[in-house]
Amino acid sequence: MSELATLARPYAVAVFKRAKETDSAKTWSKNLAFVASVFSNKSISDLIDNPKIGKSALSTVLLDISEGQIDQEGQNFLKILIENNRLSLVPAITQLFETYKAEDEGSIEIDVTTAFAFTDETKKKFSSTLKKVFGKKVNMKVAVDSALIGGVLVRAGDQVIDASVRGQLQQLAQRL
Amino acid sequence: MQLNPSEISDLIKKKIENFDLSTQVHTEGTVVSVTDGIVRIHGLSQAMQGEMLEFTGGTFGMALNLERDSVGAVVLGSYQHISEGDTVKCTGKILEVPIGEALLGRVVDALGNPIDAKGAIDTTEFSPIEKIAPGVIARQSVDQPVQLGLKSIDAMIPVGRGQRELIIGDRQTGKTAIAIDAIINQKGTGIKCIYVAIGQKRSSIANVVRKLEEHDALAHTIIVVASASESAALQFIAPYTGCTMGEYFRDKGEDALIIYDDLTKQAWAYRQVSLLLRRPPGREAYPGDVFYLHSRLLERASRINATEVEKLTGGKVKGKTGSLTALPIIETQGGDVSAFVPTNVISITDGQIFLESNLFNSGIRPAVNAGLSVSRVGGAAQTKIIKKLGGGTRLDLAQYRELAAFAQFASDLDENTRKQIERGQRVTELMKQNQYSPMSVAQMAVSLFAANEGFLDTVEVNKVLDFESALQSYMKSEHKELMANINATGDFSSDISTGIRSAIETFVKTHSW
Repeated sequence: MSELATLARPYAVAVFKRAKETDSAKTWSKNLAFVASVFSNKSISDLIDNPKIGKSALSTVLLDISEGQIDQEGQNFLKILIENNRLSLVPAITQLFETYKAEDEGSIEIDVTTAFAFTDETKKKFSSTLKKVFGKKVNMKVAVDSALIGGVLVRAGDQVIDASVRGQLQQLAQRL
Repeated sequence: MQLNPSEISDLIKKKIENFDLSTQVHTEGTVVSVTDGIVRIHGLSQAMQGEMLEFTGGTFGMALNLERDSVGAVVLGSYQHISEGDTVKCTGKILEVPIGEALLGRVVDALGNPIDAKGAIDTTEFSPIEKIAPGVIARQSVDQPVQLGLKSIDAMIPVGRGQRELIIGDRQTGKTAIAIDAIINQKGTGIKCIYVAIGQKRSSIANVVRKLEEHDALAHTIIVVASASESAALQFIAPYTGCTMGEYFRDKGEDALIIYDDLTKQAWAYRQVSLLLRRPPGREAYPGDVFYLHSRLLERASRINATEVEKLTGGKVKGKTGSLTALPIIETQGGDVSAFVPTNVISITDGQIFLESNLFNSGIRPAVNAGLSVSRVGGAAQTKIIKKLGGGTRLDLAQYRELAAFAQFASDLDENTRKQIERGQRVTELMKQNQYSPMSVAQMAVSLFAANEGFLDTVEVNKVLDFESALQSYMKSEHKELMANINATGDFSSDISTGIRSAIETFVKTHSW
């Protein structure tokens, strides 16, 4: 995973810079999402891994599929990836691109896991608190996991804020 | 120890009462790969170099490689239960081990956990294993001796408090034996000892512990063990653990002696860890920082002045200097001291005790090569009487070595040369000493005096040791006061000189051996 990130970084940076230049971050976002969804298809990924299929044939197939779904620059990007044999990097590139985009917009992706579902009001309150804590716009994804017993678990990238009953019980178990 | 059940529940109740329910904020990562105790972790972007990492199941690791997208860490202990995808937490702490008086008499592993089945260690103090050595202002020059109790070493290669003296030699030359004798001789001197066993067989460690117990020397000793079966990471950190435990005594104005047995194996362990972390190999496949590995460890053995001790103890201890003396051990292969690690450690330390296997096999034990062994700072620390009498010994042996080749032509040699050879043979014989029988300053002084003043010249070479032991037991029974006086002052006055002379003269006249 970490090795993929290293390889994907130059591509992601290039795409992001190009998107900034042409002010087309949204289009690129869509492009990448589409390509990634295509690759998640089993028969397509089998096709990519098949050594019998040459680069030109692969390029024709993929460009045909994406016809109308991605713009000219997106197609060029796809061609470069085929040329460099780096099609497997697409998910990593997509992920990195989204992080760069979010950073640029001053927003942050936060996963929140709660023991009980939020009401709309508490969700709003919680979101504004998180905004204060991180000092950034917050894109909150909420999931419910009863295994937490109570409280919340906030995850923003590497950082974890564990205010769940499960975490406290674990702490207590360690102390004893 | 029997625990009262109510006591336990009371204890737990108290713990629960005092337990503060805080929200945990930490950085998390995911294990990408586990190979031979080396873990690659994705995430953990906040991790510090040398930071302690927490794996699932309460195992700890240490972050060693901080890369752009991953962190390379070593697992301290078993790594079999760690698998790909496990979460890893940053603890925000550098690796720490327990320190304090409670560790004396105990056998602990490289993380400070007791392994001697004597129960938990009653200490609340912890200290990081990697610390920067005291600066120049904090230091004081070495001017007090550490008596190792071995004639040949204390007379010719003296060690001072705060010195680093290397013990180097092939396998089976008595390196550990010197170290153990040194520990036994510290009984009652107030010098605390730390014995760090790195990459040794568990059976040899058990032997060392038993011998120390037999000689009543375990009470002032901490034994840190990273045996051959433990992970390379633990073998690599064990010396730092021991050093931290020793520094505790140094920093509160006491004296301590630490023995690293041996640093060759630590370098091997570090080489293994480094290669698995994919650091570039250099000479003999050691990583580039193998010199720093040993220099930063040995720099911490030092003598610090009273002002520094006062500062470190917050004014509780005044007017006392503290010291940590180090006796690192290096094992050479086929007497080759020009290999990478031996040359490094020779250049770091303040001198070396060089042991040779052919001396050992010809019965000269301890097998010290007096010509190649040096002590660069110990001379200033030597007891006056030993310094005075030991100088002659060194000279006798040096002259003897030059002439030893001619010994077989004894009849053709001139009177002077023959005398020198005979004196040399007797002094060589006198330097032999049994294991586990360290000598006091007075005992050494008497033996050296006898050699210097020619009392041995009339004794047959193979009777020298018998003469010595008979003389020692005579001195012990008949001249208690004189011996006690020498041990107390360490001076070499004319009174003492005439005292010893007349005692030996009477002994020679009245006793047989």
